[in-house]
Amino acid sequence: MVEEKELVTALQTEAAKESAFRELVSQYKERLYWQIRNMVLDHDDADDVLQNTFIKIFRNINSFKGESKLHTWMYRIAANESITFLNKKAKRNNISIDNVKDNAVRKLESDVYFEGDQIQLQFQKAIATLPERQRLIFTMKYFEDHTFEKLSEILETSVGGLKSSYHIAVKKITEFIKTQDETL
Amino acid sequence: MNKNKNISGFKTPENYFEDFDALLFSKIDEVNLPKSAGFKIPENYFGNLDKKVFKSVKNSEKPTKVISLFPKKYFGYAASIAACLIIGFAVFNSTRENENLDALQMAAIENYIEEGNLNLDFYDVTTFINDEDIANLDLGKQRFSEASLKNYLLENMDENTLIDE
Repeated sequence: MVEEKELVTALQTEAAKESAFRELVSQYKERLYWQIRNMVLDHDDADDVLQNTFIKIFRNINSFKGESKLHTWMYRIAANESITFLNKKAKRNNISIDNVKDNAVRKLESDVYFEGDQIQLQFQKAIATLPERQRLIFTMKYFEDHTFEKLSEILETSVGGLKSSYHIAVKKITEFIKTQDETL
Repeated sequence: MNKNKNISGFKTPENYFEDFDALLFSKIDEVNLPKSAGFKIPENYFGNLDKKVFKSVKNSEKPTKVISLFPKKYFGYAASIAACLIIGFAVFNSTRENENLDALQMAAIENYIEEGNLNLDFYDVTTFINDEDIANLDLGKQRFSEASLKNYLLENMDENTLIDE
Protein backbone atom coordinates (compact mmCIF):
# COMPACT_ATOMS: atom_id res chain seq x y z
CA MET A 1 0.00 0.00 0.00
CA VAL A 2 1.37 3.36 -1.04
CA GLU A 3 1.85 5.83 1.77
CA GLU A 4 -0.69 8.64 1.72
CA LYS A 5 1.85 11.45 1.44
CA GLU A 6 3.49 9.83 -1.57
CA LEU A 7 0.10 9.26 -3.13
CA VAL A 8 -0.83 12.93 -2.74
CA THR A 9 2.47 14.04 -4.31
CA ALA A 10 1.93 11.71 -7.26
CA LEU A 11 -1.70 12.80 -7.66
CA GLN A 12 -0.61 16.42 -7.87
CA THR A 13 2.04 15.66 -10.48
CA GLU A 14 0.71 15.67 -14.03
CA ALA A 15 2.91 12.83 -15.25
CA ALA A 16 2.05 10.50 -12.37
CA LYS A 17 -1.57 11.59 -11.78
CA GLU A 18 -3.30 8.83 -13.70
CA SER A 19 -1.42 5.89 -12.21
CA ALA A 20 -1.66 7.43 -8.73
CA PHE A 21 -5.40 7.83 -9.22
CA ARG A 22 -5.71 4.17 -10.17
CA GLU A 23 -3.95 3.29 -6.94
CA LEU A 24 -6.26 5.60 -4.99
CA VAL A 25 -9.40 4.03 -6.48
CA SER A 26 -8.08 0.56 -5.78
CA GLN A 27 -7.34 1.41 -2.12
CA TYR A 28 -10.51 3.30 -1.23
CA LYS A 29 -13.33 2.14 -3.49
CA GLU A 30 -14.79 -0.39 -1.03
CA ARG A 31 -14.65 1.84 2.03
CA LEU A 32 -16.21 4.75 0.20
CA TYR A 33 -18.82 2.52 -1.43
CA TRP A 34 -20.11 1.15 1.86
CA GLN A 35 -20.17 4.57 3.47
CA ILE A 36 -22.31 5.81 0.59
CA ARG A 37 -24.48 2.71 0.40
CA ASN A 38 -25.42 3.00 4.06
CA MET A 39 -26.80 6.45 3.28
CA VAL A 40 -28.53 5.93 -0.07
CA LEU A 41 -29.49 2.23 0.42
CA ASP A 42 -29.88 1.35 -3.26
CA HIS A 43 -26.87 -0.22 -5.03
CA ASP A 44 -27.32 1.66 -8.32
CA ASP A 45 -27.63 4.97 -6.48
CA ALA A 46 -24.54 4.14 -4.45
CA ASP A 47 -22.69 3.32 -7.67
CA ASP A 48 -23.63 6.73 -9.13
CA VAL A 49 -22.64 8.63 -6.00
CA LEU A 50 -19.36 6.72 -5.73
CA GLN A 51 -18.42 7.67 -9.28
CA ASN A 52 -19.37 11.28 -8.66
CA THR A 53 -17.21 11.18 -5.54
CA PHE A 54 -14.16 9.94 -7.44
CA ILE A 55 -14.72 12.47 -10.21
CA LYS A 56 -14.80 15.22 -7.62
CA ILE A 57 -11.65 13.88 -5.99
CA PHE A 58 -9.84 13.73 -9.34
CA ARG A 59 -10.93 17.24 -10.33
CA ASN A 60 -10.06 18.86 -7.02
CA ILE A 61 -6.94 16.99 -5.97
CA ASN A 62 -4.73 19.92 -6.95
CA SER A 63 -6.52 22.13 -4.44
CA PHE A 64 -6.01 19.59 -1.62
CA LYS A 65 -3.71 21.42 0.77
CA GLY A 66 -2.97 18.57 3.19
CA GLU A 67 -4.68 20.31 6.12
CA SER A 68 -6.41 17.01 6.80
CA LYS A 69 -5.48 13.46 5.84
CA LEU A 70 -6.29 12.45 2.25
CA HIS A 71 -8.70 9.72 3.33
CA THR A 72 -10.46 12.17 5.72
CA TRP A 73 -10.95 14.55 2.82
CA MET A 74 -12.31 11.76 0.61
CA TYR A 75 -14.74 10.50 3.25
CA ARG A 76 -16.00 14.06 3.63
CA ILE A 77 -16.57 14.37 -0.12
CA ALA A 78 -18.41 11.03 -0.12
CA ALA A 79 -20.61 12.14 2.80
CA ASN A 80 -21.48 15.43 1.10
CA GLU A 81 -22.16 13.75 -2.23
CA SER A 82 -24.52 11.27 -0.53
CA ILE A 83 -26.57 14.01 1.11
CA THR A 84 -26.54 16.12 -2.08
CA PHE A 85 -27.79 13.10 -4.03
CA LEU A 86 -30.71 12.58 -1.67
CA ASN A 87 -31.63 16.27 -1.72
CA LYS A 88 -31.51 16.34 -5.52
CA LYS A 89 -33.70 13.23 -5.73
CA ALA A 90 -36.25 14.87 -3.46
CA LYS A 91 -36.26 18.06 -5.54
CA ARG A 92 -36.46 16.18 -8.87
CA ASN A 93 -39.48 14.21 -7.70
CA ASN A 94 -41.00 17.17 -5.89
CA ILE A 95 -41.17 15.28 -2.61
CA SER A 96 -39.58 15.70 0.81
CA ILE A 97 -36.32 14.02 1.69
CA ASP A 98 -38.23 11.97 4.28
CA ASN A 99 -40.35 10.58 1.45
CA VAL A 100 -37.19 9.76 -0.52
CA LYS A 101 -35.87 7.76 2.43
CA ASP A 102 -39.23 6.05 3.04
CA ASN A 103 -39.42 5.03 -0.61
CA ALA A 104 -35.85 3.72 -0.53
CA VAL A 105 -36.56 1.61 2.56
CA ARG A 106 -39.82 0.30 1.12
CA LYS A 107 -37.95 -0.81 -2.00
CA LEU A 108 -35.51 -2.83 0.11
CA GLU A 109 -38.14 -5.51 0.69
CA SER A 110 -38.00 -6.47 -2.96
CA ASP A 111 -34.40 -5.42 -3.64
CA VAL A 112 -32.23 -8.27 -4.97
CA TYR A 113 -29.23 -6.61 -3.37
CA PHE A 114 -30.72 -6.70 0.12
CA GLU A 115 -30.39 -10.01 1.93
CA GLY A 116 -31.40 -8.79 5.38
CA ASP A 117 -34.09 -10.44 7.46
CA GLN A 118 -37.11 -8.73 9.04
CA ILE A 119 -35.04 -7.41 11.93
CA GLN A 120 -32.51 -5.85 9.58
CA LEU A 121 -35.35 -4.35 7.57
CA GLN A 122 -36.82 -2.83 10.74
CA PHE A 123 -33.34 -1.60 11.57
CA GLN A 124 -33.09 0.20 8.21
CA LYS A 125 -36.57 1.68 8.70
CA ALA A 126 -35.49 2.97 12.08
CA ILE A 127 -32.27 4.50 10.70
CA ALA A 128 -34.31 6.17 7.95
CA THR A 129 -36.29 8.10 10.57
CA LEU A 130 -33.14 9.95 11.69
CA PRO A 131 -32.34 13.46 10.37
CA GLU A 132 -29.67 13.36 7.66
CA ARG A 133 -26.71 14.54 9.68
CA GLN A 134 -27.54 12.21 12.56
CA ARG A 135 -28.05 9.33 10.13
CA LEU A 136 -24.61 10.01 8.67
CA ILE A 137 -22.99 10.06 12.10
CA PHE A 138 -24.75 6.87 13.14
CA THR A 139 -23.98 4.88 9.98
CA MET A 140 -20.35 5.98 9.88
CA LYS A 141 -19.83 5.10 13.52
CA TYR A 142 -21.90 1.94 13.68
CA PHE A 143 -21.20 0.30 10.32
CA GLU A 144 -17.83 1.79 9.37
CA ASP A 145 -16.55 1.69 12.94
CA HIS A 146 -14.79 5.06 12.80
CA THR A 147 -13.62 6.43 16.12
CA PHE A 148 -15.27 9.63 17.27
CA GLU A 149 -11.95 11.39 16.80
CA LYS A 150 -11.75 10.26 13.18
CA LEU A 151 -15.41 11.23 12.66
CA SER A 152 -14.65 14.62 14.18
CA GLU A 153 -11.98 15.18 11.50
CA ILE A 154 -14.19 13.95 8.68
CA LEU A 155 -17.35 15.79 9.61
CA GLU A 156 -15.62 18.82 11.18
CA THR A 157 -17.75 18.51 14.31
CA SER A 158 -16.62 18.30 17.93
CA VAL A 159 -16.15 14.87 19.49
CA GLY A 160 -18.63 15.77 22.25
CA GLY A 161 -21.25 16.79 19.70
CA LEU A 162 -20.76 13.56 17.79
CA LYS A 163 -21.04 11.41 20.90
CA SER A 164 -24.23 13.17 21.90
CA SER A 165 -25.72 12.82 18.43
CA TYR A 166 -24.75 9.15 18.26
CA HIS A 167 -26.25 8.39 21.63
CA ILE A 168 -29.54 10.08 20.68
CA ALA A 169 -29.58 8.17 17.38
CA VAL A 170 -29.13 4.81 19.13
CA LYS A 171 -31.92 5.68 21.55
CA LYS A 172 -34.30 6.67 18.74
CA ILE A 173 -33.55 3.52 16.78
CA THR A 174 -34.06 1.28 19.82
CA GLU A 175 -37.35 3.00 20.65
CA PHE A 176 -38.56 2.67 17.06
CA ILE A 177 -37.82 -1.05 16.92
CA LYS A 178 -39.41 -1.60 20.31
CA THR A 179 -42.57 0.27 19.20
CA GLN A 180 -42.74 -1.74 15.99
CA ASP A 181 -42.38 -5.02 17.93
CA GLU A 182 -45.14 -3.98 20.33
CA THR A 183 -47.42 -3.09 17.41
CA LEU A 184 -46.84 -6.51 15.88
CA MET B 1 -9.26 14.07 50.39
CA ASN B 2 -6.53 11.69 51.65
CA LYS B 3 -3.27 13.60 51.12
CA ASN B 4 -1.34 10.36 51.29
CA LYS B 5 -3.18 8.82 48.27
CA ASN B 6 -0.76 7.67 45.61
CA ILE B 7 -1.07 9.44 42.33
CA SER B 8 -0.71 7.20 39.31
CA GLY B 9 -0.03 9.99 36.87
CA PHE B 10 -2.72 8.78 34.47
CA LYS B 11 -5.00 11.20 32.72
CA THR B 12 -8.42 10.77 31.08
CA PRO B 13 -9.67 12.25 27.80
CA GLU B 14 -11.61 15.50 28.00
CA ASN B 15 -15.22 15.06 29.28
CA TYR B 16 -14.65 11.33 29.72
CA PHE B 17 -16.77 10.94 32.81
CA GLU B 18 -19.42 13.40 31.59
CA ASP B 19 -19.96 11.36 28.45
CA PHE B 20 -19.49 7.96 30.05
CA ASP B 21 -23.11 7.25 30.98
CA ALA B 22 -24.48 8.15 27.57
CA LEU B 23 -21.93 6.01 25.80
CA LEU B 24 -22.42 3.08 28.11
CA PHE B 25 -26.17 3.00 27.54
CA SER B 26 -25.62 3.35 23.81
CA LYS B 27 -23.38 0.30 23.91
CA ILE B 28 -25.98 -1.64 25.90
CA ASP B 29 -28.68 -0.70 23.37
CA GLU B 30 -26.41 -1.56 20.46
CA VAL B 31 -26.11 -5.14 21.69
CA ASN B 32 -29.70 -5.68 20.56
CA LEU B 33 -29.21 -4.13 17.13
CA PRO B 34 -28.28 -6.16 14.01
CA LYS B 35 -24.56 -6.21 13.31
CA SER B 36 -24.90 -5.92 9.53
CA ALA B 37 -26.96 -3.65 7.28
CA GLY B 38 -27.98 -6.59 5.09
CA PHE B 39 -26.75 -5.13 1.82
CA LYS B 40 -25.41 -7.19 -1.10
CA ILE B 41 -23.52 -6.16 -4.21
CA PRO B 42 -23.53 -7.53 -7.77
CA GLU B 43 -20.99 -10.21 -8.52
CA ASN B 44 -17.54 -8.85 -9.29
CA TYR B 45 -18.77 -5.27 -8.75
CA PHE B 46 -15.53 -4.05 -7.20
CA GLY B 47 -13.46 -5.91 -9.79
CA ASN B 48 -15.09 -3.96 -12.62
CA LEU B 49 -15.38 -0.70 -10.75
CA ASP B 50 -11.96 0.73 -11.56
CA LYS B 51 -12.60 0.69 -15.32
CA LYS B 52 -16.02 2.26 -14.82
CA VAL B 53 -14.63 5.05 -12.63
CA PHE B 54 -11.82 5.91 -15.09
CA LYS B 55 -14.32 6.06 -17.93
CA SER B 56 -16.52 8.43 -15.90
CA VAL B 57 -13.55 10.61 -15.04
CA LYS B 58 -12.42 10.77 -18.69
CA ASN B 59 -15.94 11.60 -19.85
CA SER B 60 -16.23 14.34 -17.27
CA GLU B 61 -13.06 15.92 -18.69
CA LYS B 62 -14.30 16.04 -22.31
CA PRO B 63 -15.60 19.48 -23.22
CA THR B 64 -19.25 19.18 -24.12
CA LYS B 65 -19.99 20.02 -27.73
CA VAL B 66 -22.13 23.08 -27.87
CA ILE B 67 -24.62 22.94 -30.70
CA SER B 68 -25.97 26.36 -31.43
CA LEU B 69 -29.74 26.39 -31.65
CA PHE B 70 -29.50 29.18 -34.15
CA PRO B 71 -26.58 28.75 -36.63
CA LYS B 72 -25.10 31.99 -37.86
CA LYS B 73 -25.69 31.23 -41.56
CA TYR B 74 -29.43 31.24 -41.00
CA PHE B 75 -29.32 34.52 -39.18
CA GLY B 76 -29.39 36.53 -42.45
CA TYR B 77 -32.46 34.66 -43.70
CA ALA B 78 -34.24 35.09 -40.41
CA ALA B 79 -33.45 38.82 -40.37
CA SER B 80 -34.84 39.25 -43.90
CA ILE B 81 -38.00 37.36 -43.09
CA ALA B 82 -38.47 39.37 -39.93
CA ALA B 83 -38.00 42.65 -41.85
CA CYS B 84 -40.54 41.59 -44.48
CA LEU B 85 -43.02 40.67 -41.82
CA ILE B 86 -42.59 43.99 -40.06
CA ILE B 87 -42.97 46.00 -43.29
CA GLY B 88 -45.97 43.94 -44.38
CA PHE B 89 -47.60 44.38 -41.02
CA ALA B 90 -47.08 48.14 -41.16
CA VAL B 91 -48.55 48.42 -44.70
CA PHE B 92 -51.46 46.16 -43.89
CA ASN B 93 -52.23 48.16 -40.81
CA SER B 94 -52.13 51.50 -42.68
CA THR B 95 -54.58 50.16 -45.36
CA ARG B 96 -56.89 48.95 -42.69
CA GLU B 97 -56.57 52.30 -41.05
CA ASN B 98 -57.76 54.03 -44.25
CA GLU B 99 -60.67 51.65 -44.51
CA ASN B 100 -61.49 52.21 -40.90
CA LEU B 101 -61.27 55.94 -41.47
CA ASP B 102 -63.65 55.78 -44.43
CA ALA B 103 -66.14 53.71 -42.46
CA LEU B 104 -65.82 56.12 -39.56
CA GLN B 105 -66.39 59.10 -41.74
CA MET B 106 -69.46 57.55 -43.37
CA ALA B 107 -70.96 56.63 -40.02
CA ALA B 108 -70.37 60.16 -38.73
CA ILE B 109 -72.01 61.66 -41.79
CA GLU B 110 -75.04 59.40 -41.53
CA ASN B 111 -75.46 60.30 -37.89
CA TYR B 112 -75.19 63.96 -38.73
CA ILE B 113 -77.95 63.69 -41.28
CA GLU B 114 -80.25 61.60 -39.10
CA GLU B 115 -79.96 64.10 -36.28
CA GLY B 116 -81.28 66.73 -38.66
CA ASN B 117 -78.13 68.73 -38.76
CA LEU B 118 -78.00 68.77 -42.54
CA ASN B 119 -80.27 71.64 -43.61
CA LEU B 120 -80.47 70.80 -47.21
CA ASP B 121 -83.53 71.82 -49.20
CA PHE B 122 -85.00 69.24 -51.53
CA TYR B 123 -84.16 71.53 -54.40
CA ASP B 124 -80.58 71.88 -53.13
CA VAL B 125 -80.26 68.10 -53.35
CA THR B 126 -81.62 68.02 -56.86
CA THR B 127 -78.93 70.42 -57.96
CA PHE B 128 -76.50 67.59 -57.38
CA ILE B 129 -78.49 65.28 -59.57
CA ASN B 130 -78.15 65.68 -63.31
CA ASP B 131 -80.46 64.56 -66.08
CA GLU B 132 -78.52 61.37 -66.56
CA ASP B 133 -79.00 60.41 -62.94
CA ILE B 134 -82.74 61.04 -63.28
CA ALA B 135 -82.88 58.89 -66.37
CA ASN B 136 -81.06 56.14 -64.54
CA LEU B 137 -83.53 56.15 -61.77
CA ASP B 138 -85.40 52.91 -62.14
CA LEU B 139 -88.66 53.91 -60.62
CA GLY B 140 -90.53 51.16 -62.46
CA LYS B 141 -88.98 48.47 -60.38
CA GLN B 142 -90.08 50.00 -57.18
CA ARG B 143 -93.38 48.58 -56.26
CA PHE B 144 -95.56 50.46 -53.89
CA SER B 145 -98.64 48.84 -52.64
CA GLU B 146 -101.93 50.59 -53.19
CA ALA B 147 -102.44 50.81 -49.47
CA SER B 148 -99.06 52.55 -49.03
CA LEU B 149 -99.89 55.04 -51.77
CA LYS B 150 -103.28 55.88 -50.31
CA ASN B 151 -101.74 56.38 -46.86
CA TYR B 152 -99.07 58.62 -48.26
CA LEU B 153 -101.57 60.77 -50.10
CA LEU B 154 -103.88 61.09 -47.13
CA GLU B 155 -101.01 62.09 -44.88
CA ASN B 156 -99.12 64.35 -47.24
CA MET B 157 -101.65 66.05 -49.43
CA ASP B 158 -104.08 68.84 -48.40
CA GLU B 159 -107.45 69.70 -49.89
CA ASN B 160 -106.27 72.98 -51.33
CA THR B 161 -103.57 71.25 -53.33
CA LEU B 162 -106.07 68.77 -54.66
CA ILE B 163 -108.49 71.59 -55.59
CA ASP B 164 -105.67 73.60 -57.31
CA GLU B 165 -104.56 70.60 -59.26
